[in-house]
Order: sequence, then C-alpha cells, then structure tokens
Amino acid sequence: MAKRTVIPFGPQHPVLPEPVHLDLVLEDETVVEAIPSIGYIHRGLEKLVEKREWPEMVSVIERICGICSFGHGMGYCLSIEGNMGIQIPERAEYLRLIWHELGRVHSHLLWLGLLADSFGFESLYMHTWKLRETVLDLFERTTGGRVIFSVCKVGGLRRDVDADTLALMERKLTELVPEIEELAKVFIEDSSVGSRLKGVGVLTAEEAAALGAVGPVARGSGLRMDVRLEEKDRLYVDLGFEPCVETAGDSHARCVVRIRELFQSIELIKAAIQRIPDGEVSVPVKGNPEREYIARVEQPRGEAYYYSKGAGEKFLKRIRVRTPTNANIPAMVKTLAGAQLADVPILILTIDPCISCTER
Amino acid sequence: MISFYGSEISYFQVITAAVFVVCGPLVGGLIAGFDRKITARMQGRQGPPVLQPFYDVLKLMEKEPATVRGSQDFYIMTSLIFCVITGVFFFGGGNLLMVIFTLTTADILLVLGGFASNSSYSQIGAERELVQLMSTEPMIILLTIGLFLAKGSFGVAEIISGGPVAFPYLAGLFIGVLYIFTIKLRKSPFDLSMSHHMHQELVKGLTTEFSGRTLAAIEMMHWYENVIFLGFIFLFFANGTPLWWVLGIVVCLFLYFVEILIDNTYARMRWQFTLKSAWAVTIIFGGANLLVLYYLHASQLLS
Amino acid sequence: MKFLSMGKVVLRSLFGKPSTYGYPFTPREYPDTLRGAIGIDIDACIFCGLCARKCPTDAIEVNRQEKSWTIKRMQCVYCSYCVDTCMKNCLWTEHTHVVPDTVKQVDTYKQEPPEAEEEAAEEQLETPASTEASLGQTDSESAGQAETPEPQEGEPADA
Repeated sequence: MAKRTVIPFGPQHPVLPEPVHLDLVLEDETVVEAIPSIGYIHRGLEKLVEKREWPEMVSVIERICGICSFGHGMGYCLSIEGNMGIQIPERAEYLRLIWHELGRVHSHLLWLGLLADSFGFESLYMHTWKLRETVLDLFERTTGGRVIFSVCKVGGLRRDVDADTLALMERKLTELVPEIEELAKVFIEDSSVGSRLKGVGVLTAEEAAALGAVGPVARGSGLRMDVRLEEKDRLYVDLGFEPCVETAGDSHARCVVRIRELFQSIELIKAAIQRIPDGEVSVPVKGNPEREYIARVEQPRGEAYYYSKGAGEKFLKRIRVRTPTNANIPAMVKTLAGAQLADVPILILTIDPCISCTER
Repeated sequence: MISFYGSEISYFQVITAAVFVVCGPLVGGLIAGFDRKITARMQGRQGPPVLQPFYDVLKLMEKEPATVRGSQDFYIMTSLIFCVITGVFFFGGGNLLMVIFTLTTADILLVLGGFASNSSYSQIGAERELVQLMSTEPMIILLTIGLFLAKGSFGVAEIISGGPVAFPYLAGLFIGVLYIFTIKLRKSPFDLSMSHHMHQELVKGLTTEFSGRTLAAIEMMHWYENVIFLGFIFLFFANGTPLWWVLGIVVCLFLYFVEILIDNTYARMRWQFTLKSAWAVTIIFGGANLLVLYYLHASQLLS
Repeated sequence: MKFLSMGKVVLRSLFGKPSTYGYPFTPREYPDTLRGAIGIDIDACIFCGLCARKCPTDAIEVNRQEKSWTIKRMQCVYCSYCVDTCMKNCLWTEHTHVVPDTVKQVDTYKQEPPEAEEEAAEEQLETPASTEASLGQTDSESAGQAETPEPQEGEPADA
C-alpha cells in the first residue's frame, strides 16, 4: 500500500500560465486524484455593468483576458448588436474576421511555446515566441496596441485599415508560414517531444462529449464542433472553412489540431484580405438595448457565449460570459487522474487554460 | 615525497590538488557562464554576461538565511566538502576508486539535504536524484575497470602520465560515458531533479527549499562537479605527451559544447526512460567493451 | 521519428544575431498608429467634461471653474475613448507611451487667460517630479509639442 502525499500545485507555480490551484493526491509520482480550486483572479468584472454605460463596457470586457482579448470585445459587441438589431457593414465584418483569426494565430503560437516549456524544451519555447512577436507587431500597426486592441465598438469598428497595411499584413504572414512550418515539424515529428505527448491524457470522444469539452480539446478527440460553422452571416463558410479534427484524443492530437488551425487561420486571413469590400466600418447607433441576447464566438480555446440583458437604460441589467476554459476544466481533471507527475503541466496546458477568462 | 596515510605523494601532487581547490570554482564558474551565454544565443537571446554565475553566487551569499531546518544546511555543507575532497583526490593523482566513492557520498548527502526539508517538491526531487544516481553509477564503475584494464592502474597519476592513449581501447565505454555525461551534468533530456531551465513541474526540484548561502554552496558544488567530470573525459586521452594533453582538453571543451547543443534540442524525459536507457547503454556498450578488453588481456595483446 | 530536428534552428541562431535588442538602452520605435499617451491642446478645450464621463478608468478630471484638465497618467489605459468623444478635437494620442516611473504621474493643464504671459513649463511627460499636489502652468505650445520622451533621458533605467 503506497503512501499518499498531497502536493499543492499552484496558484503560484512557474509552469502555470495562470493561477489555478490543484491538490494532487500522489502515490509515488502517480496522480491518483486532482482536486481543483479556482477563484484567485476573480475581479468581479460582470458587476461593473452597474457602473459603466454599455458603450464603455467594451473596454472592460476586452480586459477580461489578454490573449482572448479581441474575441471578448467582439463577442460583447455582437451581443449588444443582436440585442438592438443592428447590422454592421460588410467591411467591418471582414476586418473583425481578420483580427479574430490573427488573434487565434497569436494565441496558438503562445500556447505552443508554453507547451514546449512545460516539457523542458526551452529553446523551442523561445523560438516560437520569437515568431509571435511578428504577429504582435502586426497588431500594433493595425490597432494601436499589442495586447488590448480597443478596436471593436457597438455598431462596427473604431478604426479602419488601409490597403497598404493590409498588403503588408499579407506579406508578413506569408513570410511567417515557412518559419512556423519548421517549428511545427519539431512538435509533430521529433521523437523526444513525441514521447512526452503521445498517449498522454487520452480523452475518448464519448468522454469528451459527456464532460462538455469545447474547442480544440473536443476536436482533438474526434468531435466536429466549431461555432464558426454555424455563424449567422456565413462568412466563414463562404471562405471555405472546415474545422480541423483529429481522432487520437491524446495531447499530441490536440497539439496537431492547434497547429493545423494556425495554418488555416493564416489562409483565412489571406483569403479575407483578397475579398474585403470597400465601405464604411461603422454605423451610428441610437437607443438602448432592451432585450436578452446570446452571441457565440469561437475563441482560440473554444466556444464562448456572451449573454446580455438590457432594460432600455444606459446601464445594462446583466451580462454573463461563459468562457471555454470553464467548460474544459472537468475534462482536465478527468485526464489528470492516473497520470504521472511529470505529465501534470502538459495536461494542464493541453486544455489551454485561461483562468482569467474563467473567473473574470 | 611525503607520506600520507601510508601512500607516497609527491609535492607536485599536493600543488595540483591545491590548485584545484582554488581554481576549480573559477574554471567551473567560467564554464557555467559560457554555458548560459551559448544557450541564450542558441535560443535567439542575448544572454547574461559571462561572469554572471559569480555575481549570482556573491549575491546569494549576502542574503538572509531562511532555511526550514538546520540539518539541511549541515548536509549541503558536508556535501560540498566531500566534493572538494573528491577533486583533491582526483587532481592530486589519487586512487580512482576513492574518487568515485567520495563523489557518490557527496551526491547522497545532497539527496539527504533534499529529504531533510519537508517540502513535497524537494522530496520528489530528491527521489529523482537517487534515480539519476542509480542510472549513472554502473557506468562509472565499468569505466574505472576499463581504465584499469587499458592502463594497468587505478591511480589517476599513472593513468595520465603513461601507457597508450586509452581512447581506442575504450571506445564503447566512451560512448556510454557520453550518455551518462548528460545525466551527470544535469542537462536536458535528463535534468530531472533540479533543472536550470525555467519551468519544471517540481518548481526547482531538489533545490526548492534552499536559499542564501546554502544555495550558493550548491552552485559551487555544481562547478566543482563539472570540472571533475570533464577530468574524467580527459582520462580517455592523456598519456603523458603534451600533444595528447592539449588534444584532451580540446576534446573536453568540444564535448561540453555538444552537451549544450543536446540540452537545447531535446525535451525532458521521464525518470523511467532515463533509468532504462542508461542501464541499456551501460550493459550494451560498457559490457561489450569490457569483454573486448578481457579478451585482449587474455591473448596478451595488452599488458 | 526524428532526432535533433531542432538542431538546425538552434545552430542557425547561435551563429546569427540575437532577435532581442537591449531595451531600454536601445529605444523602441513605435509605429504611427500607436495608441499612446494622451495629449491635449488646452486652448481649444471648452471643459464640457465629456471625456471625463466616457473614461472607463476615471483617469481624467475636468474642472470648469478653474479651467483645468487633469489626467492621471498611470491610470490611463490608452483606450482613446476620450479622443473619439471630444467635440472640439483637442485630444490626440501620442506616438509613444508614458515612460515608466516610480511615482504616479499626474499632469494638469490650465487654460491661461489670453492677456497673461506664458511661462515655459516643465510639467511634461518625462519629468519624474510631478506629484499629486503639484500643478503646472503648461502653455499651449508645449502641449502641442509634447515631444516623444526619450527613454535614455535620465530615466530610472539602471540595470
């Protein structure tokens, strides 16, 4: 009968990207059970609707998380626009798609770097983040900020991007693709990386569906679910979007899903830049939201939905954001049971936890 | 010659041992500094100045002591003393078997220091350090036997000052020692117990609960150990002639560079893989080499 | 299965230039579209207070009686809602950020009555001496030329 020890993992731990606490019950380096607790970064942002008028609330919602920032801003704006029945111009829709997919590229590059770091491959981590800098510079040039963009508003966008900058974006992304391919080959084919990722944290399709996994976690287990398929205005489907699905269900499959989505996002951005129409980027907005509305967005981590409830005043009655990590934590806890201690950081990172989003 | 516990030691050996005690940390620290700089350049960063390890150790010595238990400090300091004694034996030309066992003692004391603090991270790190020790000890012992068979003596002074160059006869053992080298130098893929890389699931592994002067002592122990292990590599090449001495040093430095390269091109492995692969390499390469050496002895091709 | 697939990348960066540069000793070049610190043309301001109402972090304070406009530099999040809202277009974003400092900089701009003499003011972005209590007499020219504060200029950038 091996002795059981309980290791407190987090909230301050160098390998965790965000503060989450796990009590790992160990028997000799095998995790028997993992008990999570969250709440270390709850800031009460949803309560701020009582103090900030709904047009200014965008800047608060954007700052829920630094990586999914654009998705949050866009999701909130979509929710209010649906609430008030506003139709934004087509150019604004294309630009939102471009920025959202660029945000996905950035998020997946960041995640790949963190994954490499979690199994001790520091040089791969540094090289992946070097590529991320190119994407951040593109953000700074088009939106004015590297992390928080402040470019979405209810009714469209706050600033436009001219044709020269779009051409520059296309060029930089085309230059980025071979460099990402070189590093992607290391992730997918290298033997030492493979021995750390393959067979680790297997989630079958039934388990993923039963636990409510979303995003790349579900797509890595063979479930074909993506909000971009059901998007109202068919923009993604028009551009030929098809979700990336792998069937193995282990960490390697989830890594492959994200890498494929990376390349797919770059293709989507380039296709959108080719087809973007001219026109206005915003419409004037009058009145106040009066109904309830839920908007859904496919964040880099999965499906997020934004619920807003207005009552005809300048202050909303309630907003609620359900972020994808919230739905993926049960899947993470399930994969942790029976894992080796050395695999714990990989399993935590494989769902791409964004605890700031989870706890707002 | 002076008489020391029954064996005769020349003044020259005393001087070399003293030089090691004083210059060992300097050389080891410089090697560590170049290590960090080269690693940073491989990762696309600028890297710290080459003298940074010295600045770090000096700063650590100024810090307020904050150990959990007094016995931790005792174990680490004794471990450092044993490390220095190992170096004195090795660079003073003493008995190789003695060197191996004092080195092992130093490592065990480090493990005890890790266990003495009650932190769970430290304890798991200490367990992994024991696994690392189990992986490397067989190879080191086979190396000692191989050197005896090739050079005819267990004494370091005799090994480096005469006889044939050991390398061709010990090719298999050399490959095995290279594999073990990665574990001993605590480099990826085998930096299980206390990694110098940033993010490890055991926070800082064995060294989690140490700070201040004790952590400085552990750093200096790493420096001493690195110099001693490079010395082991040197044994393969030295035979008393200046040419092979210089070549030996060059090969040592080149192999250290190769270790840095391997550190940056591999992910960290789990302990089960480390143990199994190290024993496999030991048995296959080390065992085969020893069989060849015994055959050569039996057929009088080697004295 | 591949071994050493990272070897090429690693050796290439070993013998090439590092991809980091030595900020803050090497200054950063920002693009023109950067949403940087907020600048104001105080003489055009009518002190309506809309910018203060729209600010999500309450960093702006407008005093109509004293004709002063105060911004807490460290509380501003560079969202530039104030710039969009201003009816007189007297606010803009600079092409640099506020330089990091050890005190919370608060900058106040006052509109001088037309007949008073302008005094050259030092309450610019790069002065570390502004505290909560100090008020500056910043005239419109200095506000208009709020230069890019160079990071090397006496900033606490000691390594």
